[in-house]
Amino acid sequence: MNAPSAPKAANKLKSTRMAGKLVNDYWEMVWRAKEEGKLVCWYEGSSINPFLEAADIVWVHGEAYSAMLAARHQEGPAQAAAEERGYMRELCSYARTHLGCAVNNQRHRNESDSAFSGVPDDEDISAKLPPPDMIISAYAYCSTGQQWDEMTSRLFGKKIPIFNVSIPWIWASGKDAGYLRGQEWQETSKYVAKQLEEMVKFIEERTGKPYPWDRLRELMRNVKRASELRLEAMDMCTARPAPATLFDWSVSIAPINQLPCTTDIVDYFTNVRDEVAERVRTGEGAVPKEKYRLFFDGIMNWNKLGWLAEKFARYDAAVVAGRYTHMAFWQEPDLIDPNDPVMGMGQNYLICPNNHSSPILIDLIMGLCEKYEVDGIVFHATRTCRAFTNPMHMIAETAQKRLGIQTTMFEGDVADESFYKDELLNTRVEAMLEAIDARRMVMV
Amino acid sequence: MADSNALDQLRAVSSDPMGYARAWKERTGGLVVGSFPMNFPSEMVHAAGALPLIVQESDEPITVGHGVLFPFYCGFTRSTVDQAGRGDLDVLDAIMFGDHCVQLLGAADAVRVQLPNTRVIFFQLISSMCDPWTFGRARESFQKLRSELEDFLERPVEDAALHASIALFNRNRQLIRTLYAARVDGRARLTGSDMQAIVKSSMVMDKQDHTALLEQIVAALPSAPVPIEGKPVRVHLSGHFCQAPKPELLAMIEDCGATVVGDDLYHGYRYISTDVPEGIDPMDGLARWYMDRNTGVPCPTRVQNDVDWDAFLLSAMRDEAAEGMIVLMAKFCEPHMYYYPEVKEAFERAEVPHLLIETEHETMALEHLRTRVESFVEILRRRRGAPRTQKSTVEGEAA
Repeated sequence: MNAPSAPKAANKLKSTRMAGKLVNDYWEMVWRAKEEGKLVCWYEGSSINPFLEAADIVWVHGEAYSAMLAARHQEGPAQAAAEERGYMRELCSYARTHLGCAVNNQRHRNESDSAFSGVPDDEDISAKLPPPDMIISAYAYCSTGQQWDEMTSRLFGKKIPIFNVSIPWIWASGKDAGYLRGQEWQETSKYVAKQLEEMVKFIEERTGKPYPWDRLRELMRNVKRASELRLEAMDMCTARPAPATLFDWSVSIAPINQLPCTTDIVDYFTNVRDEVAERVRTGEGAVPKEKYRLFFDGIMNWNKLGWLAEKFARYDAAVVAGRYTHMAFWQEPDLIDPNDPVMGMGQNYLICPNNHSSPILIDLIMGLCEKYEVDGIVFHATRTCRAFTNPMHMIAETAQKRLGIQTTMFEGDVADESFYKDELLNTRVEAMLEAIDARRMVMV
Repeated sequence: MADSNALDQLRAVSSDPMGYARAWKERTGGLVVGSFPMNFPSEMVHAAGALPLIVQESDEPITVGHGVLFPFYCGFTRSTVDQAGRGDLDVLDAIMFGDHCVQLLGAADAVRVQLPNTRVIFFQLISSMCDPWTFGRARESFQKLRSELEDFLERPVEDAALHASIALFNRNRQLIRTLYAARVDGRARLTGSDMQAIVKSSMVMDKQDHTALLEQIVAALPSAPVPIEGKPVRVHLSGHFCQAPKPELLAMIEDCGATVVGDDLYHGYRYISTDVPEGIDPMDGLARWYMDRNTGVPCPTRVQNDVDWDAFLLSAMRDEAAEGMIVLMAKFCEPHMYYYPEVKEAFERAEVPHLLIETEHETMALEHLRTRVESFVEILRRRRGAPRTQKSTVEGEAA
């Protein structure tokens, strides 16, 4: 194994740079929402944003806002505000950060609160988040999502209308159960789709207008196409060296998950797909001297995205796929019928990477590991995201038994970098790569 | 004074639930069906002729469970997978549940893998409680669970049997509520541990046998309040959902000069707060019960915008003439952590003192906690007769 002595940059995709501009434009639109007289909806979890965008409602995805703050290292004021109100550090740091924004928002509007000045710090973008006119909760698997939305509603004095979409976990116990099949899948799909139709009525009540279904169909055509392009590009990363890594796909989450569903996202993923194809043609790798291929299991550590990309590249390790990036975000475009999109949208919400119980989930992950021919799995034991950590030990055990590959774990978090232990990661990754080297020598 | 022999029997079952289940199985040859807390209606299992048992956190330290779930999970989930890994749950022929806490789902998923020969039946209950479809979905969920139970047992669960089980369980709950009322008015001098033993054993024992013992205890209650030495401060215990607080913690609180006059613990009033409506379709009744429970004693694992846990707590404390509240929060319990700031602020506004204690599965520095509880008790004593003029919350950090 090569010691990471000299820094050498990860060879990131050039086409993903556009994501930064698109993301900035999107948040600027959010911050202007009230000035422009727009209704604002806060939501978490499932990508219900096309439903809102079609109705000309500005959408704020809680995780996305927290991730953005963490990626810019500006999560501190929001997390401090949450902690002051009593939200404990072991709570989901996405939720804690977002709730902190709500606390800040309330405080800055309440001059009688003597603990705070009424004017937010210019640099505190947590306070720029416009308050919601409505809340929609549509969270797969993790109970935190629904409770987070409920607490947001209570923070605003229960004056904000809230709508809950319940998305059941796919337990898969029936004899016919499997990925996208079986009675449980069919019944659950219908249950979620029915609630989404009710959600549209809730949106109509908020806007006072008939729901613009044609607009939704148009947006979902873009989503479907963007998703197809994204998956096509991901598939090309089975090439050696891999033309893109998990870190490129992490940067590309916002365009598929919450940016406006215009042709911009189709253009974005067209460019990504074309660059990836070109790299495959020329043999250009995302890690210049790719020696190891790894799977990353866990949600992204947003404070450390660039840091981790560099770290793995210096180990000559290409992180070619991951549960978070490769099993979520309009992952099954074939299910989406743009002319009648609700059922397919609901089904895509149901296949959030954690919403299948372990028999299905583990098979899917093992399939990805085989497809991308990985040498090992790195588990990011995401301290405050139990939705992701729940099956990790079972996945690790199966990977070792079924595929005979190495695994390692490190502790970190989605938006609270105090949980991240750099030395632990260094030691464990190095040990795993050495084990991979040793195994290769035996096989030779 | 409560019937001590009957109480001793309940204490014995409470301290060894799995031992009781094994003995019951050996004695009757029947099936034992476990369930995870907190919302599965055990009446269904009872009506099927099996022994329903709510899986309990074990006192044993976590060993093999460390290889299944991370240490940053609540004690109940880690203990459950640990018990499964050690074979302690082998007495269970099936496990049924329908809850949605993310840690509980992780534990259930792992238990299914750990116990390949045990049928684990799941159908997720709706946790959003005031949607137009909540009742229908809850009923459907219970019907699905019933159908799977019938499939497992290879026989139907008859409506008549379900009606009878509902009546028996209601009687059991009513008797325990009688004891709660007697504790408030001073006729029952039951310690926190005693009350926990009574409720916890109800989650484990054959319901007929348990009810018979309760009848004895209630019959032995005096007709007038029992004089008590000194004047201990009256406290309400709140929180602790899936798992029972450790008896030594409850004893320590009482040693500090407090007497527990009410609670909303799952191993307490929350479990027996609500009866299943009788005289209607039993599945309708169970769905109604599921919804009524959250109106009666709101639970932070559910979302219901039109009920407030904090308001319930303040109201309950007025009824109990409680002077302060001790919040017992199981470390890493996410629903409780989400709701706690609401409770904290409401109690500060109402100038009602409370003390937060975070509990852990493995270790609790009881002597350190004792100092904090003693301080809290002292504050409550000093408030007697004093005007309410200052903020009265005693905030605690992690134990």
